[in-house]
Amino acid sequence: MSFKANKEEPLLEIRNLKVNFHTYRGEVKALNGVNLKLYPQEVLAVVGESGCGKSVTMQTLIGLLPENAYVPEGQIIFKGGDLTKKSKEHMRMLRAEELAIVFQDPMTFLNPVLTIESQLEEVFTLQKKLLIEASNLEKTQGDVKFTDLLREKSSDAPQTNRKLARKEVKRISKKLCVDILNLVKLPDPERILKHYPFELSGGMRQRAMIAMALARRPSIFIADEITTALDVTIQAQVLHLLKELRDKIAASTLMVTHDLSVAAEVADRIAVMYGGNVVEVTSTRQLFKKPLHPYTQLLLKAIPNILNPVETLESIPGTVPEMVKPPPGCRFHPRCPFVMENCSKDRPKLKEVEKGHEVACYIY
Amino acid sequence: MKSPATYTENETKNEELLRVKDFKVWFPIRSGVLQRTIGYVKAVDGVGCSVKKGETLGVVGESGSGKTTLARGILKLIKPTSGKVYFDGIDVVKANRRQMKSVRRKMQIIFQDPYASLDPRQTISSILYEVMKLHGVVQNRSEAIKKSIELLEKVGLSEEHLYRFPHEFSGGQRQRIAVARALAVNPAFLVLDEPTSFLDVSVQASVLNLLKKLQREFDLTYLFITHNLAVVHHMSDYVAVMYLGKIVELADKNTIYHSPRHPYTFQLMAAVPLPDPEAKKKEVLLQGDVPSPVNIPPGCRFHPRCRYATDRCRKEEPQLIRKNGHLVACYQDIDFSVEKIAGE
Repeated sequence: MSFKANKEEPLLEIRNLKVNFHTYRGEVKALNGVNLKLYPQEVLAVVGESGCGKSVTMQTLIGLLPENAYVPEGQIIFKGGDLTKKSKEHMRMLRAEELAIVFQDPMTFLNPVLTIESQLEEVFTLQKKLLIEASNLEKTQGDVKFTDLLREKSSDAPQTNRKLARKEVKRISKKLCVDILNLVKLPDPERILKHYPFELSGGMRQRAMIAMALARRPSIFIADEITTALDVTIQAQVLHLLKELRDKIAASTLMVTHDLSVAAEVADRIAVMYGGNVVEVTSTRQLFKKPLHPYTQLLLKAIPNILNPVETLESIPGTVPEMVKPPPGCRFHPRCPFVMENCSKDRPKLKEVEKGHEVACYIY
Repeated sequence: MKSPATYTENETKNEELLRVKDFKVWFPIRSGVLQRTIGYVKAVDGVGCSVKKGETLGVVGESGSGKTTLARGILKLIKPTSGKVYFDGIDVVKANRRQMKSVRRKMQIIFQDPYASLDPRQTISSILYEVMKLHGVVQNRSEAIKKSIELLEKVGLSEEHLYRFPHEFSGGQRQRIAVARALAVNPAFLVLDEPTSFLDVSVQASVLNLLKKLQREFDLTYLFITHNLAVVHHMSDYVAVMYLGKIVELADKNTIYHSPRHPYTFQLMAAVPLPDPEAKKKEVLLQGDVPSPVNIPPGCRFHPRCRYATDRCRKEEPQLIRKNGHLVACYQDIDFSVEKIAGE
């Protein structure tokens, strides 16, 4: 897949998003004006250290912010509407159909007392449209595969009032369950469907979660640190799966990770976040070849690299900023080696320095 | 008191400090009314290795490979089932309490989670004083304070931090305090059990640099345990790869990374994501998961996931033997560096 920035309308646009949390220590300004665009069919990785706001951005996007959080400013434009203004009910609908998310720890999101089959089947049973499409396709083609349905999906699908018999629903969803488990490369799907989550290994659970997310045919597939809890070899398997899937599914992928190497493996573009801001966005190649923001430059030198070993790693002095009283101006300025006078006064805005390379720094 | 630096003054360099022989830690699985033992979790199942003075042995492996159990077994924090651990000539497994006390002073551990390993109700000064008093490193409180300030400065903190509580520090600072506490008793050997896996990348780098600096300064010997292959490459002289309670390959770090000889090592290295999108990598995917350490496969324990497995691998267990400068436990003789080049 090619890098598509500037060619198309973004599928999702986050504009100057701010999120605050009420806490007993005071107002935590977790997001401080995040700007992000997600284009159709691309894989965008959001990378940052803990506390940089990458998870809060995702939570705001899917409408699952905790009770003590609120959005004082900013918009999330998706399909013509602003997601920050939608009702809870509407967001629930969107999560069911458009925004599918997979989290770090699958065990907390799978129901431990239901088999994989009943959990996966539920997803299909709730999607009347998909089942009818499947049944129609089966009639015309003689057989139906889940991947056909992925291709078929369009917003103006034929509206039929046909109702499916309960038996028929059961049969088709079972068929699709097996199909989708094959798609995520789970061996012996018939057997796995009968298992409970605790009987699966971490990697298998994560694949089951991915299957459940894809079953909804989302427009945006959000992967929130999905490989963090896995071992390297299993991580490699899941990343390989993601790479394979991105050509098969019609969704854009928004991947959240703290690991730049993981982002390098799968992403088309990378957005680096620091202290509640996006500080740099560019294509994966460009980011590693020519990082512009001082934070990105230092971060890349701080990772031990097997290909290019060094005696001492470069470390970034200081720590991640306190979010109750964040430093004024650019939030990186207390740790920045190139700090200038206006860095502590105004927050630098994200601007396009080169084609498709945006950075928020006064140096440029 | 001998300081760590004086250890090597009388003794020759490159002398073995730690030798582990046929080391096993099995945890019994008990069941039923009588709590009879019905099986064992063979967490560490026959490990042999040695560490020379001033060097770092890195131990890598996936979760469940037994690397942490090995470390704790060596320090006798977990009672080993069988095997021998010689530390500075003393068999730690057989040592009595008095001998253990002097051994414990010389070997210290830094745990993974700095949020759990420091007592939240003690100030830094009392945390440091407690260890120094226990091992008789200092005579009185004022001497302890003087030494504590020195230690804090060594690890990149300062005197002002002395009377604070652990919750007032960030993760990286806490890990520095844990390092200071370990150094307080002038050890010769440090076990570092995933010391940076709780830290952010930008902080990780500074802790790794600190550990390297201290190693040179105090001539420390490290056993560095981690699942992060890039970190272990940065820190170690030798790397041991563990799989299901056994070492499958041991060699110096460059050899093991560039020309691994064990199929598992090769696949483990290939699985590491590289911070370089243009790096040409051969896609070698390891199929399946690590088997349970309760039912270890017969023969070579890696054979169910190995592409090169033969009948012999399924029946007999290969021993760790020396081949071209590596210690490898594999019947096949494949040079994966050749395969790697072919893949590029």
